[in-house]
Amino acid sequence: MRFNTVIIGGGLAGLTAGITLQKAGRSTAIISTGQNALYFFSGSFESLEEAPQRITDLFTEAGIGLHYNPGVRLMPMGTFRKAVLSLEDISLFPEPKIGNKALIVSFTGYHDFFCSFLAEGLEKQGMQCRVKLLNLPELEQLEKSPSEMRSVQIARTMDRIWETVVREIRILLRDEDTVILPQVFGLKDTSVPSRIRQGVPAQVVFTGTLPPSVPGVRTQMLLKRRYELLGGTYLMGDEATGAHVHNKVVHSVVTQNLGNHFLEADNFILATGGFFSKGLKSNPFEISEPVFDLDVEQAEDRSDWYNPEFMREQPYMKYGVATDPALHALSGGEPYKNLFAIGSILGETRPDLGTGGGLALRSALAAVDEILKPDEE
Amino acid sequence: MSNQEFDVIIIGGGITGAGTMRDCAMRGLKTLLIERSDIATGATGRNHGLLHSGARYAVNDPESAEECIKENMILRRIASHCVDETDGLFITLPEDDLAYQQTFVEACRKAGISAEIIDPEMAKRLEPSVNPDITGAVRVPDGSVDPFRLCAANMLDGKLHGGQVRLHTTVTGFIKEGDTIRGVHTRNLVTGEERDFYAPVTVNAGGIWGHDIAQMAGVHVGMYPAKGALLVFAHRVNNMVINRCRKPSNADILVPGDTVCIIGTTSTRIPFEECDNVAVTPDEVNLLITEGAKMTPSLSSTRILRAYAGVRPLVSADNDPTGRNISRGIVCLDHEERDGLKGFITITGGKLMTYRLMAEIATDAVCRKLAVDKKCQTAETPLPGSEEASYEAVARKIWEKPSMAQKAAAARLGTRARHIQTRDRLDEALICECEEVSVGEVKNAIEMMNASTLTDLRRRTRIGMGTCQGEFCACRAAGLLAASHGCIEKEREDLKDFLQERWKGNFPIGWGDTLREAEYTQWVYKHVLGIL
Amino acid sequence: MKLQEYTLSTHNFEECMKCTVCTAYCPVLQVNPLYPGPKQAGPDGERLRLKDPFFFNYALKYCLNCKRCEVACPSGVKVADLIQSARIKYDTSPPKWRDRLLASTDFMGSLARPVAPIANAVTGLGVTRSMMDAMFKIDHRRIFPKYSPYSFEFWMGRHEKEQAAFSEQVAYFHGCYVNYNYPRLGKDLVKVLNALGVGVQLLEKEKCCGIAMITNRMMKEATRNANHNVGALAKAVDKGLMVITTSSTCTLTLRDEYPSLLGVDNSGVRDFVMMATRYIYERLEKGATLRFKSDYHKKVAYHTPCHMEKLGWGIFSEKLLRMIPGVEFTMLDSACCGIAGTYGFKRENYEASQAIGENLFTQIRAVDPEVVACDCETCKWQIEMSTGYTVMNPISILAEAIEDKQ
Repeated sequence: MRFNTVIIGGGLAGLTAGITLQKAGRSTAIISTGQNALYFFSGSFESLEEAPQRITDLFTEAGIGLHYNPGVRLMPMGTFRKAVLSLEDISLFPEPKIGNKALIVSFTGYHDFFCSFLAEGLEKQGMQCRVKLLNLPELEQLEKSPSEMRSVQIARTMDRIWETVVREIRILLRDEDTVILPQVFGLKDTSVPSRIRQGVPAQVVFTGTLPPSVPGVRTQMLLKRRYELLGGTYLMGDEATGAHVHNKVVHSVVTQNLGNHFLEADNFILATGGFFSKGLKSNPFEISEPVFDLDVEQAEDRSDWYNPEFMREQPYMKYGVATDPALHALSGGEPYKNLFAIGSILGETRPDLGTGGGLALRSALAAVDEILKPDEE
Repeated sequence: MSNQEFDVIIIGGGITGAGTMRDCAMRGLKTLLIERSDIATGATGRNHGLLHSGARYAVNDPESAEECIKENMILRRIASHCVDETDGLFITLPEDDLAYQQTFVEACRKAGISAEIIDPEMAKRLEPSVNPDITGAVRVPDGSVDPFRLCAANMLDGKLHGGQVRLHTTVTGFIKEGDTIRGVHTRNLVTGEERDFYAPVTVNAGGIWGHDIAQMAGVHVGMYPAKGALLVFAHRVNNMVINRCRKPSNADILVPGDTVCIIGTTSTRIPFEECDNVAVTPDEVNLLITEGAKMTPSLSSTRILRAYAGVRPLVSADNDPTGRNISRGIVCLDHEERDGLKGFITITGGKLMTYRLMAEIATDAVCRKLAVDKKCQTAETPLPGSEEASYEAVARKIWEKPSMAQKAAAARLGTRARHIQTRDRLDEALICECEEVSVGEVKNAIEMMNASTLTDLRRRTRIGMGTCQGEFCACRAAGLLAASHGCIEKEREDLKDFLQERWKGNFPIGWGDTLREAEYTQWVYKHVLGIL
Repeated sequence: MKLQEYTLSTHNFEECMKCTVCTAYCPVLQVNPLYPGPKQAGPDGERLRLKDPFFFNYALKYCLNCKRCEVACPSGVKVADLIQSARIKYDTSPPKWRDRLLASTDFMGSLARPVAPIANAVTGLGVTRSMMDAMFKIDHRRIFPKYSPYSFEFWMGRHEKEQAAFSEQVAYFHGCYVNYNYPRLGKDLVKVLNALGVGVQLLEKEKCCGIAMITNRMMKEATRNANHNVGALAKAVDKGLMVITTSSTCTLTLRDEYPSLLGVDNSGVRDFVMMATRYIYERLEKGATLRFKSDYHKKVAYHTPCHMEKLGWGIFSEKLLRMIPGVEFTMLDSACCGIAGTYGFKRENYEASQAIGENLFTQIRAVDPEVVACDCETCKWQIEMSTGYTVMNPISILAEAIEDKQ
């Protein structure tokens, strides 16, 4: 099968590249080994100080609302973090004092949302907090299973019964100006978060839970749907296992499922992520890139890979695939002519492009621009 | 400042202290145990968890071997919920001298250890993970023992017999009157509260830290800190203990314990200053993997969960630099006889296996001092939780259709699993999915087993000991702890300490799936939850 | 000794990062709280079972073996294989008579086919269905697939000569359904392949792929069939033939379940077993052509069967259907129909089965196609029974759309 561009990796970077290329009329395929880091997406794009129009357009067209509002956001452990560009359901505030009185609402038996930590964090900012747990008969089905009171499962129910939650909150609400809720709303019905905000007579702050992240799952679904609507081919649950390469040009990739049916293309984009997603592999002696055996910037001695303090920055998380300025991936110090590396597989080798979500978006667009650049000859 | 009077104060919440507390309390003494950290934080919780048959010592140290096999049989009776009766193999590899097998078997028999030479083919059938090239195999009654459970059960029984336990409490000094120890000054490290306790006898059961405790009391006990490094593998590769049939050396024991297996150990002399913070070096990791894979080749392709090290409290006898030839025998010092210091006893040396005997010896010494004439009953009376022979029987007795978590709880707590609240199904929700620990079991550990930190909880429930190493369960459990003690700020720090403690054991083997998991944990706590 | 060789896990379940993505994708968990879920039943449970078989949980029988957990897993853990292997290894109770009956598609087919009209009438009777429900706990609301009065093998026997006349040949693993219930699909395949200039022959003798036996723990029987089939496939492969299939489940079984669940080595034949849609797509890609009817029109909604999703070959069926002029194509969001072979036939699973499928049924009703396309026969029964829409294999749609004379 032949495409203009084959993208390996179906996370934020891969989908951004895929959507943009499809929109530009290029045929693409995305090879994705199962789900990806969007499942753990916090909802804010790291290291994006401004909000480029093409990024907001890309999301808006996929049905994902973004808002740009430099400030801070409330984190699940009650701390505050700087945030700029975020999904619409993430509230951004100019300062950590986000109100005077807060009602924190969760569900009985739900351990993945940290009410007491949130309350303490807000009290530190001078707010008064009250925690209430809702006991909803509709969640009984989930309670029956010892491992089912988890975000996505609850969100599935909430798509149906969010109005009950609004009703309960209205009953509970006294003089609080702020209601804190777990991010378990709007999994499939994307209108739920804003309808809750309309229904509750106080500002509603949706706050993160333990993964899976419901806004992340939703973002992934919507981006993937957008990509497929644009005619992209998303090969779910497949894995690139090797490639045919000649004179620093990639001709095709081999996948687990398609075997000897190779995927040919003019361009290839590698967006396979960091260690978790197996974009980078490690053994006791080295860190490597498994599909093309690209150059990976790393410390030679394993002892230097880690900081013994968990909370400090970890050197290994900065390692990544080496690229030239146009993001062509390097192997043996030489760039591939038609292979680009984007997203977190770059680690922090490209400080100019940022980290996390910002890196995924910026590097994806940069690689796409390079692909779409008219031939110089 | 309020004072309190006891018959005996025991310093040290390891297995020796816990065992001594139980024995003293069972003999009717008013007993106080003081531990500066939590149960089993020293060598007790940092070894293989091997229920020695004594075979390992049979050739070089017949006395220890005899002690081991006797205690081995006793523990099977009194501590069924802590013991896994796996049996063990002593295998001969092609590079080992098969002639040693004969010496070994004879020594075992002399010590009263059943040692049966079996056909290597038979050995491979019994334990399929064993190196297929073995040239010889001997079957012995080894097993595995969970030191945390054993320690907790001893302490609990001490409490059930009227004893008191003060964890997270450090001895800041001794109350001395002339040549007599009258009691101890203490400080609670959590609350900062300072208190004095009095007793006519104080027992130093501080393991390697017993050296410093003795010094504080003004006497010298020559100790020898020998570090031993071990690796935990992510699942149970073997179901029988595997040993090398040769002179004891490095990395030649592989013990299956609960859901994992553990290879060890090394032996390196370290300075006393390092005892509180022992680290596993890359060389030790390499040695453990390479040697371990000789016995059980599949270890080489099994995920390593963590690396850790303990410090053996050996009592110096000579200048052997490896420490292996030092007697691991029990040392009970009556400092009145030895140093002219009255009211002070040190119990040390020995090993996890012989803790009960050590406790008996120490308690005998205490009773002599107090002129109490009571017989030791610890060898006959089952520990709380061990009243049934198997956890299957326990689970089926308590619950009609036990869930996975209930089965797992029965395996961890024995008959005490019946104390787990299952008031409603919400208590059955899982906190730790790797090791199947429910909300009810966590609450039980907090309310009935003195757990006040996540690390305490880990020792009592296996939370955070599974393959995710606390990634998901730590914050859930922190929520429950916070609800119990009400101090969020403290719990936030506790959570960080716990993650730090897990990372300490992860990064020495930080590659492959372990590194993937570590990266994920970083994301979850720093970027998703925002713990900082 | 090189330490490199000694440090990475080959135990697939240890690659699980506990991320819980699989639980979000499991169709059973959403409807049945008794099921512990793929993570718990798979990699988590495996560690406990290795400690002691006492930790085996009989609720693992609720697993559909749809493999969606495997498709969703970012770590490549073979979750469903772990669950099925655990059932095989630890559930030593003999399979129920009902399960044996349901799993013996081959045996039942050869019994019923010669008396097809009677068999169809009998299995269709309300009283029979109530009786089967009472005696065997086969849900009375299920409609059994009808038996054909002649077998596909019989039909092929009569066309052997004309098929042999083609210079190019493939072998066809038709499966029980085509043979006993629905020879038309086989005939459609022959038509399309002939149009491409390819003759079709049968394997020397094929037996049921055995998937129903595997899921109903009839391991001896399944292994016997697997060994037989691998032998038969090898003979065809030795003759230089590709082996073409029209059922995604048979294909997955022949290629993947044989080695992973039965331990039957199929490495010599695995890569030669291929879904017809992939085979045809590849022929067309290499320049072969088909002449389509100029007046053909059909509104088609394509449902990717779970096992097709796992094979990763839905793309070929999709591209083929989109290639047909006159086909108005809609891709349905991937969702399990709930039947999972014999699973949905069991009375204890009926409600769950229908609840799982509801997501798909709603989509189909919303699209309101003339026909639903899918590559799996049990999905066909389920969708037809539950929605009333006609379901066709993409090959049949292709056969219908091409000119009779090429």
